[in-house]
Amino acid sequence: MDYSILLAQAVLNGLVIGAMYMLMAVGFTLVFGIMRVVNFAHGEFYMLGAFTGFFTYVYWEIPFVVCLIIAASTVGILGMLVERTLIQPFRADEMSGMIATLAISVIIQNGAVLLWGPVPRAMPDIVTGTLAIGPFNFPWSRLVVIAAAALIFACFWLFMQRTRLGRAMRAVAQDTETALIQGIRVNYIYPLAFGMSVALAALAGALMGPVFSVSPFVGATPMLKAFVVVILGGLGSVPGAVVGGLMLGMIESFTATAFGSLVSDILQLLLVILILLVRPAGLLGQREA
Amino acid sequence: MHGPRPPAIDQDEPRIAARRRWLPAAVIVTLLALALILPQLTTNQFYVHLANLMLLNSIFAISLGLIASVGQISLGHAAFVAAGAYISALAALSFKLPPLLGIVLAGLVTGLAAVALGKILLRLRGVYFVLVTFLAGQVFTLVALNWESVTHGANGLLGIPAISIFGFPLSTRLRFYYFALAAFILVITFVWALMRSQYGRAFRSIAENIRLAESSGIDVSHYQIVAFALGSGIAGAAGAATVHYIRFLSPDSFTFNDSIAYITMLVVGGRHTLIGGVLGAAFLTPLPELLRGFVGAQHIIYGAILLGVLLFIPNGLVSIGSSLWRKSSGTEEPK
Repeated sequence: MDYSILLAQAVLNGLVIGAMYMLMAVGFTLVFGIMRVVNFAHGEFYMLGAFTGFFTYVYWEIPFVVCLIIAASTVGILGMLVERTLIQPFRADEMSGMIATLAISVIIQNGAVLLWGPVPRAMPDIVTGTLAIGPFNFPWSRLVVIAAAALIFACFWLFMQRTRLGRAMRAVAQDTETALIQGIRVNYIYPLAFGMSVALAALAGALMGPVFSVSPFVGATPMLKAFVVVILGGLGSVPGAVVGGLMLGMIESFTATAFGSLVSDILQLLLVILILLVRPAGLLGQREA
Repeated sequence: MHGPRPPAIDQDEPRIAARRRWLPAAVIVTLLALALILPQLTTNQFYVHLANLMLLNSIFAISLGLIASVGQISLGHAAFVAAGAYISALAALSFKLPPLLGIVLAGLVTGLAAVALGKILLRLRGVYFVLVTFLAGQVFTLVALNWESVTHGANGLLGIPAISIFGFPLSTRLRFYYFALAAFILVITFVWALMRSQYGRAFRSIAENIRLAESSGIDVSHYQIVAFALGSGIAGAAGAATVHYIRFLSPDSFTFNDSIAYITMLVVGGRHTLIGGVLGAAFLTPLPELLRGFVGAQHIIYGAILLGVLLFIPNGLVSIGSSLWRKSSGTEEPK
């Protein structure tokens, strides 16, 4: 067995799942940072994105980029509606808000089972062929996922740093009351941020559709990993989510290659519990007041 | 003739006070009598089974409520239930330990484990505690799946014996019903007495304002550990009792979904009162059966009820009852 090929495989796989975890975790942490809501339904929006991508790509046979846009916008709008009607009433109460997202998750997941059935569906690859660099062969289908995730994150980052709306969101995350005094309409920021967060989850879902299969239950694992990543990087920290996501992807890929995926999962969870206990604010996070 | 004292208070006070004294007692006696007699009147084993599950779920919800009463929500409660179930089931299968002792052992071990875990985990508060208990619960399920030499992995443990009291096996649903009823009464009386003691007062003050409690000299971490250990221990013992009733155990028997179910019961019933968990369990346990006609939509309706209660009755079903009670007695209920 050639170790360098095995190693390259592991790195590539780590980057692919790391990119997905990153997109999941960035959205998750955004909502927590701005709204103080732990969104247990985050994985279900990933699942909805995966299904939207699947149906538009397989049945309508349109370019995958368009599928991604459709997935992000439909799920994003749905997320805004959900925030406005079901999460906003619990703004003052973290616990009730969290339990509400649990209920939303149950409803969405079982709704999907009702509509589309529990059987996983395979989605064809968007591109075929491999990229050969020296002795290594990298399938394009995986490389595309990494590139797309990087591009999506770059857009998100520019939006947050360079636009008025992005600055307003960061202001609300830092201090809601002061943001209000500055004339930022928090009531608009909340649904927007939630919509954007779940749109990112939907993009992750649509991108990963061809890598894994598509079923109503695909959201559970990415959500669990988003938790892990966000704790690694610090709840509410976007750079933490990026670093944590890529790191977790790598850790997972290498430990799964070495010990098998179940042991890898247990190790990850234990690592995170340890970090929570030693550094509750996460590796890159700042201590909360 | 009697001077200027306001007559309204003079006349009403003794009547209301007397009513306060006998009404709860009468309600409890009636309920108890009904609970003892009703199962004898039905021949439908399924109703008895539902009643058993209701009683067990009530215990789970009450024990979670005990942890919630110090202001912490555990999303890993089912892990303690499962741990208790595994302890008692394995002790019975491998060492022929009588289930009754197994239940006590399960309660003790899970309670002590909760003391050790609580010392570490309870340093986290609010959302962080929720997340860490969620993750710990996931670790438990994964370990149970993976540790095949002990737990038999996903195949589960078969042939777990029924509880037997002095050689009298509780092998039918009806026999187990009376055991579960006794256990339920024991637990609810214990928690009721605890909440009226100095501990209960400390718990409530911590839930209400943790910093104020701390600066008033209440040892917050001590009381939180006590509540966590008692709640987890009760859950472990009840999990053991459940497994000797269902007589099958796998890593899927008690999972994250069950943790959510217990929280749902607590929230729907009313998370700030003792009766809340019981009401929630009584309302939600038979619900999937009533919704059998809507195959597939059951869980959706379940989730919708949870959302509806959160939105419109934030203090749970129990708050409807207590507002009625206030109206009928014409006074504010003492907190």
